[in-house]
Amino acid sequence: MNEQPGLSDQYRMASPWPMFVALGIPIAELGVLFDVFPVAVAGLLLFCGSVAGLLRESEYVSSPWLAMGVFAVVLVGIGVAFVFTDVKLVTRGYAVATAGVVLAVGAVGGSLFLPDDAVV
Amino acid sequence: MQITGQLALTVLMGIFLVGVAAWLARVENWRSYTPLASGGGGAHGTGHAEKPSGVIRWLTTVDHKDIGILYGFFGIISFVVGGLMVLGMRIELFDPGATLISESFYNSLLTNHGITMLFLFGTPIIAAFSNYFVPLLIDADDMAFPRINAIAFWLLPPGALLIWAGFLPLGDIVPAQTAWTLYTPLAAGVGNGNQANAGVDLLILGLHLTGVSATMGAINFIATIITERAEEVTWANLDIFSWTILTQSGLILFAFPLLGSALVMLLLDRNLGTTFFAVEGGGPMLWQHLFWFFGHPEVYILVLPPMGLVSYILPRFSGRRLFGFKFVVYSTLAIGVLSFGVWAHHMFTTGMDPRLRASFMAVSLAIAIPSAVKTFNWITTMWNGKLELTTPMLFCIGFVANFIVGGVTGVFNASIPVDLILHDTYYVVGHFHYVIMGAIAFALFAGMYYWFPIYTGRMYQRRLGKWHFWLTMIGTNLTFFSMLILGYAGMPRRYATYLPQFSTLHQLTSVGALILAAGTIIWAYNFATSWIEGPKVQDGDPWNLEETGMHTAEWEWFDRKIETAVTDGGEEESVVADGGGERDDA
Ligand code: HEM
Ligand SMILES: [Cu+2]
Repeated sequence: MNEQPGLSDQYRMASPWPMFVALGIPIAELGVLFDVFPVAVAGLLLFCGSVAGLLRESEYVSSPWLAMGVFAVVLVGIGVAFVFTDVKLVTRGYAVATAGVVLAVGAVGGSLFLPDDAVV
Repeated sequence: MQITGQLALTVLMGIFLVGVAAWLARVENWRSYTPLASGGGGAHGTGHAEKPSGVIRWLTTVDHKDIGILYGFFGIISFVVGGLMVLGMRIELFDPGATLISESFYNSLLTNHGITMLFLFGTPIIAAFSNYFVPLLIDADDMAFPRINAIAFWLLPPGALLIWAGFLPLGDIVPAQTAWTLYTPLAAGVGNGNQANAGVDLLILGLHLTGVSATMGAINFIATIITERAEEVTWANLDIFSWTILTQSGLILFAFPLLGSALVMLLLDRNLGTTFFAVEGGGPMLWQHLFWFFGHPEVYILVLPPMGLVSYILPRFSGRRLFGFKFVVYSTLAIGVLSFGVWAHHMFTTGMDPRLRASFMAVSLAIAIPSAVKTFNWITTMWNGKLELTTPMLFCIGFVANFIVGGVTGVFNASIPVDLILHDTYYVVGHFHYVIMGAIAFALFAGMYYWFPIYTGRMYQRRLGKWHFWLTMIGTNLTFFSMLILGYAGMPRRYATYLPQFSTLHQLTSVGALILAAGTIIWAYNFATSWIEGPKVQDGDPWNLEETGMHTAEWEWFDRKIETAVTDGGEEESVVADGGGERDDA
């Protein structure tokens, strides 16, 4: 199924991911700082998803879904810490944890339905 | 109302993410990364072209030269924005009262002019040069981490939007009036003013992003210069520009993460009730120490690469090698180390311990020595040389002249008894503008003119270049020398109004600013028209450097590029036209 090469292996000097990594950071920051739930979740998803894609593209990891899974665990961990420890940033914690859960769903779904060719 | 707002935002974000995913799925086939496992498909008959075409090329490029050009455009746009801001201020200052704009709007312009010029023009435009040329100079294929390079650039546009957000019509968001130093308690939103407004939070976030961007870039440059050099590029013959970029990157690595942390602490103070900089907590002085521990190295972050540019370009038009190359490198390193030991010279009047104060004065005076070493080296390079007064050379000479005034006024500032009188006056503003505008911007212009043929394949209009130089040189000295005198006369900085006795000097300053604006318009016109229709450069040595044996790696690369464009002429349409023109002329 790879008669159609993607942008970044068709072109040696192009990658679609960096711009979205860079866009994810401010969106996530804005959402978390101002406590705007949907913006925080979307920003974190965009950031983690793009980093996963970028890691896969540069072959630091063999599957983007694995990287996403790791991010999901980290986000859920941070979210839980925000909600249940003395930090007491409850609503922000929920946002971060939600992003983690969505990411986890994405990772599982992705590895089931879009398994990576290169996963040996 | 609340709920529908949230809902609308959720839907909006959902649509946004789906859009991103759809676009990515269209351009990127996740299954096609098949270096190892796949059999048949592995051949990839398409081969590897360099880049896609059109807008997508610029959005997805990881080529260091493209990213350098992106940085350049971004820096120039910021220069225009920051320049318009200061023109508003200077026109307001033609008369003593606040006649044209309100005091608070003046303060907003002041704040954003400083931040825009330092973080959105200065640092990025330096990165424009380093991205384009460091890999060429050290003969590397690209930066060590091309994708990180692209991320670092793409952080800047959102950062700029956040920094400028206060000026955009966004509900009740107001622009920050904290000045670029963001001193607490004002910047912590304490008191009866409006600086608790979200506009200040946005500015701080934007600043934070530019810091992340600079740090990523710095790591990349350190890795590139250390690991990606070609065999024949040793430490002993590494060019001076790369040396200054390496040192600058080291400074960024230690200074910017600290700024980032301090900014986060400030945001927490503002939004989550922490007391890092509150009187009952860490105290406002803590902010000043953290800020200037970053802030002073920042001024050297801005000046070292331009010094490298001058050290690199000035010898080409003096017909001789850089005098005392080794000492120029050593003084760069010395400045890099010393610049972390002088920050409290910005705080002499705060009532800090006098013994501490004296030691900071000593180190501040000491840092003038390596700066002077460089100055002497530039002068001795020109001494008895065959000077060719091209536009880039004129800007280099202007750099040296202005840097001397800037440096000497800095030494006066560094002396405690003098500074107690001059602190917070226009003298300080004059001092640092001599360095930042008179020297740094001059060197950057020198670089832009010198490498204009490489960037664009064409030549700029020389006459207009000269006009630009002379207007800028006269404008700079009129503007900032008047400021020095204003400071001696006791005019405090950062005010929208003044006493009538300062009128004449203020008007001179404003006239100087208008002259600078005229020069800048000429420059913009020259670069835009020459880029579009300037005469094509025919060979890789437009400055005739070969005659004096001063030819360098980037011009050899350029020469090869022109050659291949000519010989490949038959292949690609766009190049046929170029190649054809070439042959016609020859
Ligand atoms: C030659 C060595 C230099 C010395 C000894 C020196 C010394 C000083 C001192 C003592 C001050 C504080 C004045 C006050 O607020 O009362 C100062 C301010 C300043 N200097 Fe320099 N300086 C030097 C070079 C530079 C360079 C190379 C730059 C820029 C690249 C620079 C940029 C600044 C800036 C931006 C400020 C003002 C910061 C503010 O309060 O907004 N200086 N300098
Ligand atoms: Cu300083």
